[in-house]
Amino acid sequence: MNILEIKHLTKKFGDFIAVDDMSLTVGEGEIFGFLGSNGAGKSTTINMISGLLRKNNGSIKMLGKETNKHPIFIKKHIGLVPQELAIYEDLTAYENVSFFAGLYGLRGEKLRSRTIEALEFVGLAEKHKSYPKSFSGGMKRRLNIACAIAHQPKLIIMDEPTVGIDPQSRKYILQSVQKLNEMGCTIIYTSHYMEEVEEICTKIAIIDHGKIIADGTKEQLKSLITDSKLIYIDVKDTDHVDIDAIKAIPGVANVTLAENTIQIHTELGANNLNQIISYFIENKIEIRTLDEKEPNLETVFLTLTGRTLRDA
Amino acid sequence: MKDILWLIKKTLRTTFRKKGNILLYLVAPIGAILIALLAYGGQTTDMKFGVINHDAGNMAEETIAFLGSIDHFKTVEISDNDVSKAVTSREMDGVITFQEGYTEGLLKGEPDAVHLTSIKGDQVTAFVKSYLYQYIDHLATLGMAADGNADLFNKMYEDYQQSEFQLTTTTLTDASTNKNLTISAIGFLIMIMMMSAATLSEIILAEKENRTYFRLLSTPITARKYIISNIIVNMIVMFIQVTITLMLLTYVFHIDLNIPFGKAFIVMAIFSVISVGVSLVLVAFSNSRGAFSALMNLVIMPTVMLSGCFWPVEVMPEVVQKISKFLPQRWTLDTLEALQAGSTFSSLYLNLCILFAFAIAFFLIAIYKFSRNNDTKSFI
Ligand SMILES: Nc1ncnc2c1ncn2[C@@H]1O[C@H](COP(=O)(O)OP(=O)(O)O)[C@@H](O)[C@H]1O
Ligand SMILES: [Mg+2]
Repeated sequence: MNILEIKHLTKKFGDFIAVDDMSLTVGEGEIFGFLGSNGAGKSTTINMISGLLRKNNGSIKMLGKETNKHPIFIKKHIGLVPQELAIYEDLTAYENVSFFAGLYGLRGEKLRSRTIEALEFVGLAEKHKSYPKSFSGGMKRRLNIACAIAHQPKLIIMDEPTVGIDPQSRKYILQSVQKLNEMGCTIIYTSHYMEEVEEICTKIAIIDHGKIIADGTKEQLKSLITDSKLIYIDVKDTDHVDIDAIKAIPGVANVTLAENTIQIHTELGANNLNQIISYFIENKIEIRTLDEKEPNLETVFLTLTGRTLRDA
Repeated sequence: MKDILWLIKKTLRTTFRKKGNILLYLVAPIGAILIALLAYGGQTTDMKFGVINHDAGNMAEETIAFLGSIDHFKTVEISDNDVSKAVTSREMDGVITFQEGYTEGLLKGEPDAVHLTSIKGDQVTAFVKSYLYQYIDHLATLGMAADGNADLFNKMYEDYQQSEFQLTTTTLTDASTNKNLTISAIGFLIMIMMMSAATLSEIILAEKENRTYFRLLSTPITARKYIISNIIVNMIVMFIQVTITLMLLTYVFHIDLNIPFGKAFIVMAIFSVISVGVSLVLVAFSNSRGAFSALMNLVIMPTVMLSGCFWPVEVMPEVVQKISKFLPQRWTLDTLEALQAGSTFSSLYLNLCILFAFAIAFFLIAIYKFSRNNDTKSFI
């Protein structure tokens, strides 16, 4: 069964089209990843799904119901973890979670036990009496998540929940997402970190400039680019590397520079490795290492958009 | 409804957890009373009037002597130049001017060359006025009987002085002071209420800035329910402030409001609605907390001052008095003063209508602006 069906969704801010004719379906039990760089339109899409933003066009159906016709019903079944922290600094961790859960109608003993469960789930049970101002960035992020799950929603939407936190908290959050999923929740997970999405998502939509440029399972996405590969060349000094000259080599689709590494995206059957290496030799640029990579989501993104996720 | 209560509970909890808020919302009204006591409490015994005498005849001095004989009443001779100083320093309660030809006028039975200006409000000087004019009326009657004959008039005046003319003014003085003290305390209360209401409405902007507002909208809570919960919290605080002030005045400081408690409460309850309405308008027109405090400073203090919450409107220039007619604070005080003077609610229905109109107008403006904001920002 599909929990969410989006058809031809469009959002404009003035003349600017932030979400452009987007269609996708999220099945029950999935961890659905929205992968896209900053400004791709992920948050805008999510805000329309959770009823915070009006759409200009298209339809959003959740659990078979049109969201704008049954907003309260829909909202009851969603738990939104906003991209930016939205917690009360003047309430304790316990009070924060309990307050938000109460808005979904929970009261009394049920409210208490669900609140504690949610806090335990994100590892903040021991800190339940503390105010968020004494929390680290990662703890605040975890509290931000706890506030969205205590009412046990069918669909949890997480908007970049791991931005700007320590690796430990990040790992904790990724594990929590998988645990929530095992408990039966459907999850929409947005990120601009390719590794995260690749690690936990069962289905992925790559979003760029408000459009879905590819979607499917990891394997399906990778199979889109079986005809290309990535070559990483580590050099001593990139000052004299002429990107356009490398691009001129037959078969090379794209070249990007990151510190001392040159990423060359090339067609699989081009047989141009010799030509590439001789460019470096002729120009007296010392190669330290050379590496060839299997296609991953990064390659997919690069192939489809011509940009890396980070510099986009 | 249950969810609105949930929101109210949370807002009350976080609001009264902060000591600063308790100070502003609960202790400040007590401050209002104390300030009013300082301004008016010391006057139960003595009232001081400046007297300017331009009269060529002897009757002005006789009148001054009569005034001096009233209990708890002092007169000080001053010159025209001292008037503005007397008004600004508030050392005196009023000024009585005898113009040239006062004696002559009395002799003719046409006493119009005397003028009384009150500085601390009509309530204080009303009884002085009534005694003064009563006295002058008597003299004018004598003048009329003497038909312009000065000798005859003087003879009749001497007889008149012999007759018993005892004055007991103490109770009257108390009443007028109490009336003034009440109005003054409520004037300060009005300012505190408007400040408190604004601070409580500011929570809406604060929640938008720390994004909890949008998170709330992702739950089954609607924007309307959220705003309603804020309004209810605000009204609760307003009612507490009004109750504290009126109760303390009546039962702790034993000051006779000269208005039945219930009526005073109803008028102030209407003002509570107005004051919440004003703060909602301020919120609706501000897109940040910074803009809000700027707007608040621009609106609240000046209108409170112009409407005579800190001093009687009579001491302000005519123009300002006219402007104050457009301010709800003025109409509130006006209604209370009329009630003190003995008017009934039914005779004040125009006043009450105007107060309601202010309340409705502010709410409509806020609702209109809120809905337009939502359209442009596309937030539901
Ligand atoms: N309220 C708004 N008004 C105008 N432009 C907006 C608004 N919200 C988002 N945008 C623009 O829409 C685009 C998509 O933004 P967003 O959905 O936040 O991207 P993402 O979450 O993928 O980083 C961005 O270019 C952003 O500047
Ligand atoms: Mg975003």
